[in-house]
Amino acid sequence: MENVCKLPLIPREPTPYITHLKAAAKDNTISIISFLAFLIAWELVCRLGIIGPYQLVPPSQLVSTFIMKLTQANPDGGTLFAHTKASLIVALTGFGSAVLIGVPLGLFMGWYKPVDIMVTPIFDAVRPIPPIAWIPLAIIWLGIGLPAKAFIIWLAAFVPCVINSYTGIKLTNPVLTRVAEIYGASRWEAFYKVGVPSAIPMVFTGLKLSLNASWTTLVAAELLAASEGLGYLIQMGRRLSMPDIIIVGMLTIGFTGAMMSWGLNLIEARFASSKRVNL
Amino acid sequence: MSTAAILKKNSKLFLPVLSMSIFLSIWQVLHWIIGGEFLPSPYQVYLEAMRMFSIKIGGNSVWMHIYYSLRRVILAYLLGAATGLPLGMYMGWNRTFDKVVKPVFEVLRPIPPIAWIPIAILWFGIGEGPKIFICYVGAFVIFVLNSYTGMRYTDPLLIAAARTYGATRRQQLFNVAIPASMPSVFAGVQNALSMSWMCVLAAELVGAREGVGYLIIQGMDMYKPPMIMVGMIIIGIIGASLAVILRRFERVVCPWRRDLT
Repeated sequence: MENVCKLPLIPREPTPYITHLKAAAKDNTISIISFLAFLIAWELVCRLGIIGPYQLVPPSQLVSTFIMKLTQANPDGGTLFAHTKASLIVALTGFGSAVLIGVPLGLFMGWYKPVDIMVTPIFDAVRPIPPIAWIPLAIIWLGIGLPAKAFIIWLAAFVPCVINSYTGIKLTNPVLTRVAEIYGASRWEAFYKVGVPSAIPMVFTGLKLSLNASWTTLVAAELLAASEGLGYLIQMGRRLSMPDIIIVGMLTIGFTGAMMSWGLNLIEARFASSKRVNL
Repeated sequence: MSTAAILKKNSKLFLPVLSMSIFLSIWQVLHWIIGGEFLPSPYQVYLEAMRMFSIKIGGNSVWMHIYYSLRRVILAYLLGAATGLPLGMYMGWNRTFDKVVKPVFEVLRPIPPIAWIPIAILWFGIGEGPKIFICYVGAFVIFVLNSYTGMRYTDPLLIAAARTYGATRRQQLFNVAIPASMPSVFAGVQNALSMSWMCVLAAELVGAREGVGYLIIQGMDMYKPPMIMVGMIIIGIIGASLAVILRRFERVVCPWRRDLT
């Protein structure tokens, strides 16, 4: 039996820091090279006329369009900054109000049976309809201004907020709740001292999904009916057959969305540290 | 047996009926409060549905509109699965490939699929092309992300064990890593479908002559809230049924996931 267990002992020397740095640099070189190759291929495809100028523009032209759009309102009536600001105001209005109403509602639904019975049917009936399908109705109800868009975004953000808060608090370990109650906590005290803290991670998952949904829906709403905003910008780019405007707009949408998610992640790291979660 | 016990026993039958009736009565009350044109009553919507199913709207019956939307979604979804799953898995499996593809993917990923609509119209005209493309983008990104995550979070112990028993790299991939990543992949399968369903709507809202999105836009143009609502209900029902069908399918394909209901 002895020779069966003869595994070679692998010497474990600590990797020198410089090796680590070198490896990191090498990893990133591949990424940088591939990204540059992508840009060059794109540039060539456009320069050689394989794809026409009304369909795609080379990255070099994107850069100049981007710089131009920072200061000029032509041809769509607003600088890039103005459009971004308009979109952000609408998105954050809808998202903020959805969080303020949705998270408490979801928590109460999960905790108090009567609320659950009252609200769940309405919620279940409305949920399978994507928020985008509300756009025509919202336009009829509220016109094409801020209220209609805020309403649609509110709907889009509301659903994930409620679902995740609801699930989060439903998953509260019953032992913890019972301990709290044995020690004389009222139902309400158990709710906000045990239920809510244990639901926090799920709530944050919900917030992230909500933020994503509201940004997506905002773009849809602005494509359909708007006079400013990033969705409007790319729609104008299409009307004018200017792919450079569209692509600059798309990249700005993507970048702004990513920045907002990043901000939310920071907040999550700050307020939902794992210490508090693992009750 | 007490009444409560009977109710509890039949709750599966009883609760949906109760919830539907609560929902409908709230709707009816809101109709009385707000009134008239703006918020039609459930009965008005029912009448409108009967009317819509008996006539042709924009040259197609409602069934044809549903067929058009479904065809777009399913085509794009299958295309997304066929390209997204292998790409995501290979990105998760091969570090170098990951490094190569990641930067481009990371730049494009945060752009919502709906924001691709204008450029898709420039690229593919106004026919079926842009709609399928939008749904494809929506499904593709989710497929890639989920298969990638599934692959990356494969327990390294499993792979190490396979290697210890002399599995080749290929065997490690096909016999260990891919099956291990299935749960995460299937989470994506579900999301990707609802995403494509949402995208087809958006694409049809922006510009189409057929499809369920066209139905509700038509309702808006004719200023007919009941028609929009019928369209929304159809959309909701189809979306929910797609999800149910997929869940059934998932239970057949992934029988070890018993937590699925």
